[in-house]
Amino acid sequence: MTKAVSSPPGFWTKNQQKLAPWLFLAPGFLMFIIYVLVPIVQSIWISFHDWDGLGEKVWIGLGNYVELLDDDSFYTSLKNNVIWLVLYLLSIPAGLAVALFLNQTVTGIRLYKSLFFFPFVISQVVVGLMFTWFYAPDFGLFSKLIEWLTGEQVAVLADERFVTYGIIAAGLWPQTAYCMILYLTGLNNINPEQVEAARMDGAKGMKLLWFVILPQLAPATFIAMVVTVIGSLRSFDLVSIMTAGGPYGSSQVLSYFMYEQALSEYGFRMGYGAAIAVVLFLIMMVFITLFIVRMLSQERNA
Amino acid sequence: MADVSLRKVKKQFGALDVIKGVDLDVQDGEFCVFVGPSGCGKSTLLRMIAGLEEITSGELSIGGRDMTKVGPSERGVAMVFQSYALYPHMTVAENIGFGLKMTGHSKELIAERTARAAKMLQLDALLKRKPGQLSGGQRQRVAIGRAIVRNPEVFLFDEPLSNLDAALRVQMRTELSKLHQDLKATMIYVTHDQVEAMTMADKIVVLSAGRIEQVGSPLELYHRPNNLFVAGFIGSPKMNFLKVTVAAGAGGSLNIALPGAALQLPSHGVSVEGGEMTLGLRPEHIDATGKGDVVIEATVKLAEYLGSETLFFVTLSDGSELAVKADGLAREKPGETIRLGINAKACHLFDANGLAVINGDLTR
Repeated sequence: MTKAVSSPPGFWTKNQQKLAPWLFLAPGFLMFIIYVLVPIVQSIWISFHDWDGLGEKVWIGLGNYVELLDDDSFYTSLKNNVIWLVLYLLSIPAGLAVALFLNQTVTGIRLYKSLFFFPFVISQVVVGLMFTWFYAPDFGLFSKLIEWLTGEQVAVLADERFVTYGIIAAGLWPQTAYCMILYLTGLNNINPEQVEAARMDGAKGMKLLWFVILPQLAPATFIAMVVTVIGSLRSFDLVSIMTAGGPYGSSQVLSYFMYEQALSEYGFRMGYGAAIAVVLFLIMMVFITLFIVRMLSQERNA
Repeated sequence: MADVSLRKVKKQFGALDVIKGVDLDVQDGEFCVFVGPSGCGKSTLLRMIAGLEEITSGELSIGGRDMTKVGPSERGVAMVFQSYALYPHMTVAENIGFGLKMTGHSKELIAERTARAAKMLQLDALLKRKPGQLSGGQRQRVAIGRAIVRNPEVFLFDEPLSNLDAALRVQMRTELSKLHQDLKATMIYVTHDQVEAMTMADKIVVLSAGRIEQVGSPLELYHRPNNLFVAGFIGSPKMNFLKVTVAAGAGGSLNIALPGAALQLPSHGVSVEGGEMTLGLRPEHIDATGKGDVVIEATVKLAEYLGSETLFFVTLSDGSELAVKADGLAREKPGETIRLGINAKACHLFDANGLAVINGDLTR
């Protein structure tokens, strides 16, 4: 900046067009390097060491990764992450259904829309607490319902068979609201005359949805996919609030496993935690790369 | 055979009456234009024929069959929308064939009919493109193609040319007229542009505030408007209206006091009470060279020299204003005095309720 200003007169005017974009990008680039790129490299570096966070780092090469491959908790977490990923995607059709349902002109529709969007606004911590009470044996609504239906009490969050599904159900609530908003915006952009033209062409109900509405919602579906996939992989807060990974680590996911190893009362194994983080990062990179490739190819076609 | 007939058709949105009882017959193969100012209900009426709006009460029949409660795709009608409403994610060919696909036709038939429609509309070279890669006129053609492939008995057009530029609009107008001659189908066309109505229609329906004001051929409406609304709506520049006092004269004629002159009008056997009435004079029927049954003097306030013609906006001695269409060689300038000849045969007379008493029909 100073260089540009102090240069002989005419330099700035000559190169303004070329330099200005970089100057505007500079703050963002700087932040990105300091807070994203450098920590990624540091994490990878730490993952090759045995380190308690305070003392000397000891280089152990791939030791952390070898240990990870023998760790049952790692496989539990990985399995749970896959379940999260698959079931979390349900929020996309659910969000579309709610959006289609809410996309009409009825008095007070704005109020209904805000109410449906509400779960996305409240903190994940609060969502987790509410669902914990919902599932709670003795007084939880869900437990009462199950007891009334089957005559047996089920403590969802204390049962290894159900606990992950219970947490995912809690996560689906705000995520569905998010997808709904994305779809509502998309639906707003559809020309009502097009729907009428389709009706004149004989397209009704599911046919209308499939051939005319959904293709035009493709951008919304894409964004919903991105946020849902990434959201499912970084699921942490609900697990932490509702079960802390329990019972017996059966509801752990990679991000919580990492936190437990590196930062919780169970120990400060920074190197091991970093190795878990690197694995999670690589899994995410697969999806992010797919998304970026698709985005670029779309831009080229447009 | 697809004549369209409406009987006492009404439409209410809540407590609001939009269409207040319409009776209309459109003959098979006729080009019928609904015209009227915005908000008069012409588009609503068209959408009711299409089946996109429910008919609150009354009956609609197409080709002799009652269609009042039939779904839009089963009425044998096709519609071209103002925004074209093409499906942006489909190619031109897919857009045109979509209706056939939805009604379960075979791929071969769809391809064949799409090709035929595309040829007719000179879209052959564009079949693989998406609507986003087409110009306005080409999109318009695709929208028409989408209507044609379904072989409808009735075509409905909702202001189809209003998104095109002036030159293209004139071109599409002639193309639509040609299409009508080729297909010989019934067409109902909505527009607010009376030039479109006059140039294309076999039959014009003038609507105002949810009611039919008059139905007739373009020249009928021009020469014999039923009331002040139709008289003012058809023709450009619009007809001049002068508040006049009328008294019955000798021999069945009417004496009309104009500023600076007295006009004698043959009553054509109509008994007129006299009193306060409105005199209608088309700008093109006033002679700016001072030839006519009666001559009045006026001051030019504004002149538009268009070359082929000159438009004068003049004030009479009592302050009332007139538009006069003169020959393109007329050279009077603002501020100058002009002598206007008025032909008694061209004068329209409307009573206090705005209904025509005497039509200045120059064709008779």
